[in-house]
Amino acid sequence: MAIIEATDLTKVFRRIVRRPGIGGAVRALFSREYEDKVAVDGVNFTLAEGELVGYLGPNGAGKSTTIKILTGILVPTSGSVRVAGVVPYQRRQENAENIGVVFGQRSQLYWDLPLRESFELLRAIYDVPRNRYLENLAHFSAILDLERFFDTPVRQLSLGERMRGDFAAAMLHDPKIVYLDEPTIGLDVVAKEAIREFITRVNRERGTTVILTTHDLADVERLTPRVILIDEGRVIFDGALERLRTEYGTHRTLVVTFAEAPIEIDVPGAELEGREGLVARLRFDRRLLSAEALIRRVMERYPISDVSIIEPDIDTIVRRIYVEGYQHGPVGTPS
Amino acid sequence: MGLGLRRMAGVYRQYWRINILTTLEYRENFLVWFAFTFVYHGSSIAALWIVLSRFPSMNGWSFRDMAFLYAIWMVAHALHNTLFSTVGEIPEHIRDGEFDRLLVRPLDTLFQAIATPGQVFPDELVLAIFTFVAATIYAGVHVDALFLTFIPPIVIGGALIDLGINLIISTAAFWFVKVDALRWIFVQLEQEFTRYPITIYTRSVRLVLTFVFPFAFMNYFPARYFLHKGMSGLGLPPVAGLLTPAIGVVFVALAYVFWRFGLNRYQGVGH
Repeated sequence: MAIIEATDLTKVFRRIVRRPGIGGAVRALFSREYEDKVAVDGVNFTLAEGELVGYLGPNGAGKSTTIKILTGILVPTSGSVRVAGVVPYQRRQENAENIGVVFGQRSQLYWDLPLRESFELLRAIYDVPRNRYLENLAHFSAILDLERFFDTPVRQLSLGERMRGDFAAAMLHDPKIVYLDEPTIGLDVVAKEAIREFITRVNRERGTTVILTTHDLADVERLTPRVILIDEGRVIFDGALERLRTEYGTHRTLVVTFAEAPIEIDVPGAELEGREGLVARLRFDRRLLSAEALIRRVMERYPISDVSIIEPDIDTIVRRIYVEGYQHGPVGTPS
Repeated sequence: MGLGLRRMAGVYRQYWRINILTTLEYRENFLVWFAFTFVYHGSSIAALWIVLSRFPSMNGWSFRDMAFLYAIWMVAHALHNTLFSTVGEIPEHIRDGEFDRLLVRPLDTLFQAIATPGQVFPDELVLAIFTFVAATIYAGVHVDALFLTFIPPIVIGGALIDLGINLIISTAAFWFVKVDALRWIFVQLEQEFTRYPITIYTRSVRLVLTFVFPFAFMNYFPARYFLHKGMSGLGLPPVAGLLTPAIGVVFVALAYVFWRFGLNRYQGVGH
């Protein structure tokens, strides 16, 4: 059953045109020009209950705006949206009962007080029954190791500890859906792992639907089987991460170590990506040429001592899509 | 609705808990504020006294009368500062994005903005109540059942008038984002216009203070009633001084309508 349905979701902001410098600012005092900025442009997607989805895109692609519409903060300019049967902007408070939100850059914990005080407040805000609250707290403490710093003022916590606190805070009221906006930003490896573990378990054990926006593609590889890529307000890919890999990860790289340095490297079917001393990197299209065939071609021309193959990682794939844009028409349909 | 109110009461209590804990976390800061409260109000009263000692009375108001006038405003204003001052922080939260957090919680946005703690302590209110009692005795106001019945709702009404102003200014931030200048102007004008009987101003100023931004109902009209000052220049009977609670409620209701309008705009177009 679909828990989130976004249909032709569009959001247009009216912005003041800013001219550079003090002169421009003074001019703007007297006459203002406006321009329309389309932040979200006809976005469609459907999420089933219990899905874990990565919502990706470069800065300014419209990720945050989409999340703000889904959470009920913003009203869309056009299009329709339903979250757990509720139109978020029409029944904001009811929608709020169903969701948890973690903004990675912004804490909802009280800075000067121990974690427990913020949790007590949230318990009251969401009207969580005492038993359920204690159960959840025990469960989250076990995964996130909260006990160690439960009574320390939040301002004295490390970023990793604070984020763990924020995650638990967002989950105390058993939301059906959680929105995680760049939750691992700035965290060290250990904290990232703890957070990822937490997300996986919440999704698996409680059936919580999770939407994750991130720039860290390791998050995506670890967590989300499905990704939605958005650029300039439009969905450019929606489907399994695996498919993104097969459809966009078409180019592999053969790293060749030559026995002696050739003067010029020229292998048909491969493009020289870089060269350093005896080592050269040859990029080739997996669909046109097998690795075996390429290695044979190289060996026919030059004496070599070693070869290895680099598979495209998700980072490279996504970067390529951002930079080159989406050229082949929409590939993905919701899986 | 009943359930909603119970929940709100619970949340309100929790917010105050957080507020008091936070205040106590910074003892020194709190003590400095406390001292400042005394100095600030003490110097206001002293300044008034200096003016009045040169002019023994102002439009028929003696220094004793004006001490009472000031004291009513002081209690109402202190009550506002204790309960509602966080409304003034809304523009800042709109600017830094914290405001969005209020929108993803299952409670009324304004309720949250009011309840959210801002290191407030009732020191100002306590001082104001002492000042009020002293001023009442000093001015020789006849303390009877009527006085005791009406003063609390009048003070609450006055605090609501302050809240209305505060809310209107904060709502403007949905359009202008930064509203410091506007707030500063209103703080200055309120101090100016509540310190002296409004009869010293021209008719148009008095009309504004009565019907547009009803500061005159915070202290002038009630003081006039309890001090038996007779008719005002605007033709309102003395008993108008007892209307303050109603005026406060209506004014806040109007401010709330404006707030909803601004909030809708914010959700519609961002800022």
